[in-house]
Amino acid sequence: MEKGVFSIYMAGVGGQGLVLLSNVIGSACAKAGIRALTGEQHGLSQRSGSINVHMRIGQNIRSPLIPIGGADVLLSLEALEALRYVEYLQQGGVVLMNSRIQHPIAETALHVKDKSATYFSVDEVRNRLSQVTDKIAIIDALALGRDAGNPMTENIIMLGALSVIEAFPVPEKSIRESIAENVPKKAVDANLKAFEQGKGHAYEHLCNVIKCRK
Amino acid sequence: MGVNDVPRDEPGRVFVLCNEAIVRAAIEADVKVVSAYPGSPTTEILDTFSSVAPKFDYRMEISVNEKVALETCAGASMAGLRSMTSMKSVGLNVASDAFYSLSYTGVIGGMVIVVADDPTAHSSQSEQDGRYFAMSSYIPMIEPSDPQEAMSMVKSAFELSERHGVPVIIRTTTRVSHQSGMADFGKIERKSFAKLAWDHHPGRFVTVAETARTFKLALLERTRKMEEEFDKSPLNIIKETGSDFGIITSGAGYNYAVDACSILGLTPSILKLGTTYPIPRKLIAGFLKRLKTVVIVEELSPYLELHVESIAREANPTIAIHGKRNGIFSEAFEYNTNIVVDGIATTFGVQKTINYSAILDKAKELKNGLPNRYPTFCPGCPHRASLYALRQALKGVKHVVATDIGCYSLSILEPVNYGDTLLCMGACIGVASGIQYAVNEKVVAIIGDSTFYHAGIPGLINAVHHGDDFTLIILDNEVTAMTGQQPNPGSDVGAGGRPSKPMILENVIGGLGLEDITIVDPYDLKNAVVAMKDALTRKGPNVIISRRACALHSDRQKRRKGEVIRSNEVAKEICKKPYTCIRNFDCPAISINDNDRKAEISEELCDRCDVCAKICPFASIHLREVE
Repeated sequence: MEKGVFSIYMAGVGGQGLVLLSNVIGSACAKAGIRALTGEQHGLSQRSGSINVHMRIGQNIRSPLIPIGGADVLLSLEALEALRYVEYLQQGGVVLMNSRIQHPIAETALHVKDKSATYFSVDEVRNRLSQVTDKIAIIDALALGRDAGNPMTENIIMLGALSVIEAFPVPEKSIRESIAENVPKKAVDANLKAFEQGKGHAYEHLCNVIKCRK
Repeated sequence: MGVNDVPRDEPGRVFVLCNEAIVRAAIEADVKVVSAYPGSPTTEILDTFSSVAPKFDYRMEISVNEKVALETCAGASMAGLRSMTSMKSVGLNVASDAFYSLSYTGVIGGMVIVVADDPTAHSSQSEQDGRYFAMSSYIPMIEPSDPQEAMSMVKSAFELSERHGVPVIIRTTTRVSHQSGMADFGKIERKSFAKLAWDHHPGRFVTVAETARTFKLALLERTRKMEEEFDKSPLNIIKETGSDFGIITSGAGYNYAVDACSILGLTPSILKLGTTYPIPRKLIAGFLKRLKTVVIVEELSPYLELHVESIAREANPTIAIHGKRNGIFSEAFEYNTNIVVDGIATTFGVQKTINYSAILDKAKELKNGLPNRYPTFCPGCPHRASLYALRQALKGVKHVVATDIGCYSLSILEPVNYGDTLLCMGACIGVASGIQYAVNEKVVAIIGDSTFYHAGIPGLINAVHHGDDFTLIILDNEVTAMTGQQPNPGSDVGAGGRPSKPMILENVIGGLGLEDITIVDPYDLKNAVVAMKDALTRKGPNVIISRRACALHSDRQKRRKGEVIRSNEVAKEICKKPYTCIRNFDCPAISINDNDRKAEISEELCDRCDVCAKICPFASIHLREVE
């Protein structure tokens, strides 16, 4: 395994704000004098398709792509997309997964033909991921985002959860500053609140299985 | 975020997308004319130039296509100004006619052409390796591997361009262009924009026959001089470790090679080439002399490898060269660190600490039955409605569909699966002309407004002139949607919000002498189907314009005005589960409830185009009540 690197594989569906999320983390790294790089997806893939962003934090790292089995954290804004990229997760790595599922049109089209078919579920995703790791946090980011005053803050809810992990090398102060600078002006308060919501949720539901910041 | 940092005055370190770093570097290098057509993975160059344009005095056009963009830069640089254009790999195919000639005439002001290849064809029709363009045109090429290098190499490229009087390619790939990382911004010290006097030397930029022959000899000499310069250039870096094992690489390949060696605990000498045309042959020869084994780490074709083989023939005939030609690496798809680890481990019989193929096998097992999620039309996308209407209008009619490049290309993916041919920008029209000669079925060509302006017009002129029998559907959504809703010739604003004269599509087509033009609104589904049906029965060539703004574009405008985007819902007591709102409509906002098997509409995803409500035979879909 590569030393001195913290790798976050981010997944989701086009339009969920994955690139903004990686930008918030990257700018926070710049503020804290930490080196970070990403491999992003832009363009065609945004159209309600599956998307991913590779994020790597470390002084000597060169490749923007995380190697197979190399992600410390698999952060997914949509549950099915967590399973889609499971090969990138380290054995025993952390999964931060939004419980929201956006049913793919291919699956719905299939259900028109097969009347007994049911959708792929969050439980099914959890069961399968548990063969690779026991550190799985499932977060209802949409509900928490609504509580924070803006359902579009799912990405920052997940960032809040990520930020409590002890091994995540970016100081909270830099993240908060970066959120304030990078999200739309009128959404700053909701996003900072969302960040707290995500943190709070993680302290309750994640820190029993992984080491968290004090 | 990078794009906000790009125009800032003070130097310093920022986290920035490579494409944004390229723009910053060009601004620091005092670029004066910018022209480009969007294309992934270069689009953010155009977007960033456009968004910061009001703060600077460079002249910028979002061009009609890559050829015109390159010619615009050529003209400015012939006169002596610095210019930049950017294009995706296949964009250079469009621009190539001007590109090859420009190598002959050269330029006076520095001219940089950013060309981004797309290994794995993430958002392209092919994996085309653009490096051969440099080699066959004698135009120099420089390859950065990250945003920091992109900054310094763009500046070097402008200087090189002026020193040798030739445009310079900055060649990237998707994983360089779409890599964010740290870059040190320098000072912005720009001269104010001033027009120059044309320096009259008749024939100076005219290449034909006698002048072409003169130019050819001069460009060979120019290339020889550049090769000499590149042999000593700081753009090429040797990390000498004294090992008899070496790696030659460039661009993205360098990143994977460094990380792979660190994982494997190997310390080979590494030659990282920044100048990949002309190839610095003496430098490579010197590097090879000290080695027993060399591994070439490059994506796509064995471009460097073939050069290394020919250099090694004299420099070190017994050296073992590993790469694509002996099957260590593939010519298909982009690399990753694990791929390079496997390649190097195989070469040296090194034990790996991690078995990638076992992980991939396990993942495949875990993903069994996981539904695919290909990109598709956004909720509210007018293309969904247009194609639904078209298929209704063609019900029972055997037909062939030639489609084109744009969001509407997504119709070929599961589960929509609609469309028979797709080659390149604008090709649907010429292809339709050919198909109508060959088959009895009704022939339909589908193209977007931006693609029509880009490369469709000559095809339509040809079809009108010859009376070719097909119907052309133009999906007019006001913008170049696929790449991020940039303005196109149909827009009334251009780069940086500058007012521009919008083309009227029906007037352009009418000007060709084609009178059979039908205009429909795809949201007005019933009338659209009737009008399309009618038009499709007439002899071609005729045109149906399906006009409705891109949903992402109009949503953004609505939000700016403070409008709330509402959603629809299904009245469950009325729904009789005919699934008409799903079949051939395939909207990501509509799914089937696992319990009652009735359709459901996601409040978050629905854009309320209301087309599903018009399709429903039981009128069970209506505006969602707001609490």
